[in-house]
Amino acid sequence: MTTLEENSDPVNDPTTDYNIFDPEFVRDPYPTMTEIRESGCPIAHSNRWGGSWFPTRYEDVVAIAQEHEIFTSRDIIVVPRAAAQAEGPYAGVAAPPITSDPPDHHWHRRLILPIFAPQSVAKYEQGTRDLCNKLIDGFIAKGEADAGTDYAQQIPVRVIATMLGVPTEMADEFTGWVRGVLEVGLTDPKVRLESRLKILNFFRQQLDDRRANPREDDLITDLLNSGDKYPVTDQYVLGVCNLMLVAGIDTTWSAIGSSLWHMAQHPEHRKQLRDNPELWPTAIEELLRAYSPVTMARIVDRDTEFQGCPMKAGDRILMSFPAANRDPRQFDRPDDVILDREHNRHVAFGSGIHRCAGSNLARLELRVALQVWMERIPEFSLVDPATVIWAGGQVHGPRVCRVRF
Amino acid sequence: MCSIAAPEIFGSDELGHATVLIEGDVPVELQAKARRAQANCPEDAIIIEE
Repeated sequence: MTTLEENSDPVNDPTTDYNIFDPEFVRDPYPTMTEIRESGCPIAHSNRWGGSWFPTRYEDVVAIAQEHEIFTSRDIIVVPRAAAQAEGPYAGVAAPPITSDPPDHHWHRRLILPIFAPQSVAKYEQGTRDLCNKLIDGFIAKGEADAGTDYAQQIPVRVIATMLGVPTEMADEFTGWVRGVLEVGLTDPKVRLESRLKILNFFRQQLDDRRANPREDDLITDLLNSGDKYPVTDQYVLGVCNLMLVAGIDTTWSAIGSSLWHMAQHPEHRKQLRDNPELWPTAIEELLRAYSPVTMARIVDRDTEFQGCPMKAGDRILMSFPAANRDPRQFDRPDDVILDREHNRHVAFGSGIHRCAGSNLARLELRVALQVWMERIPEFSLVDPATVIWAGGQVHGPRVCRVRF
Repeated sequence: MCSIAAPEIFGSDELGHATVLIEGDVPVELQAKARRAQANCPEDAIIIEE
């Protein structure tokens, strides 16, 4: 296992040596993405962190997402290579369906899609609105707040806990576990394994509890009881719970945080939304495009040549949705946020059979979080742009973002 | 996405997959919305027949 120190040498040429944990890349990855995309080598390769490919053009990212037979999902957090899944008491528990390949992928996804259909997630809107108002009640009188820690971070974790039927009072613990897997754990395998065990031990107890005391209208109970349709195992249900927690928290939190960071610096966009509330749906899509939080990954199944790149079986690919979403071949003025952008076929939620199952929930949370903030705090600005702290790697967003109002 | 851009034309089934709510030609007043849905579909799955 390579360490943060071993990989921290300065980057000379990002097309052959990018480092997704480089502090400058974590803070502002877009100039590097542009440099790679517009070089003669738009699919970069780096040996850091055990090696990976980094496609930056929209067309290439979408093609890789669509070619799921060659570019498999057996691992999706890849830099550095995950070892945790293969060992320990929960060996083999993955995160279906995001880590599933066909043919299992079909029923792994089929079982959770109804939970996330637009008409299903609509019932969380009022609760999310109430939550956002309560959070703002807690700091509005101070005239200053951390839009990351005090607000964005607090929202998705509680929505997901509500969906899963687990205590929302444990929000801080859940957040810590997920950061242990997705942020700190990426460069510290011990933290990653410990966090994974905490998540799975917790859900193991929840499964046992639902078996002993089945609940009405309860996600975990329903999943355990869907064995009449599919070969549902505890391993599958544990994996789904794992996915919902890990994929549902950091990602949406990052999108809310980045959007508030943007709005804090753009009074003209705040005014545009105030004057034209019908722009909200397109504005949400544009913020998702410009600040896509997620970079998914694939494992190459067999030796193949893709766009002239010799990829070997087992190679890892970072599908940079953020880079794809700023490709000028696909989007006019890609680095500008245009809240009424007409054509926006963005891939913030991926593409193909693994397109984010929770996109409707994520959109709802992002919209409600921003609307409530801008209703209550119409004018706000960054306290100091230099003190914003970003998380990077495969999920990008601000963690500390102080604003005054 | 299409059901956000053009809710009069597109809905979703119990899996959240898009469905078409209208039959026959798209009414003139909804054609702009239909084009917008087409231009924003992340899967490029909407075809408008002229």
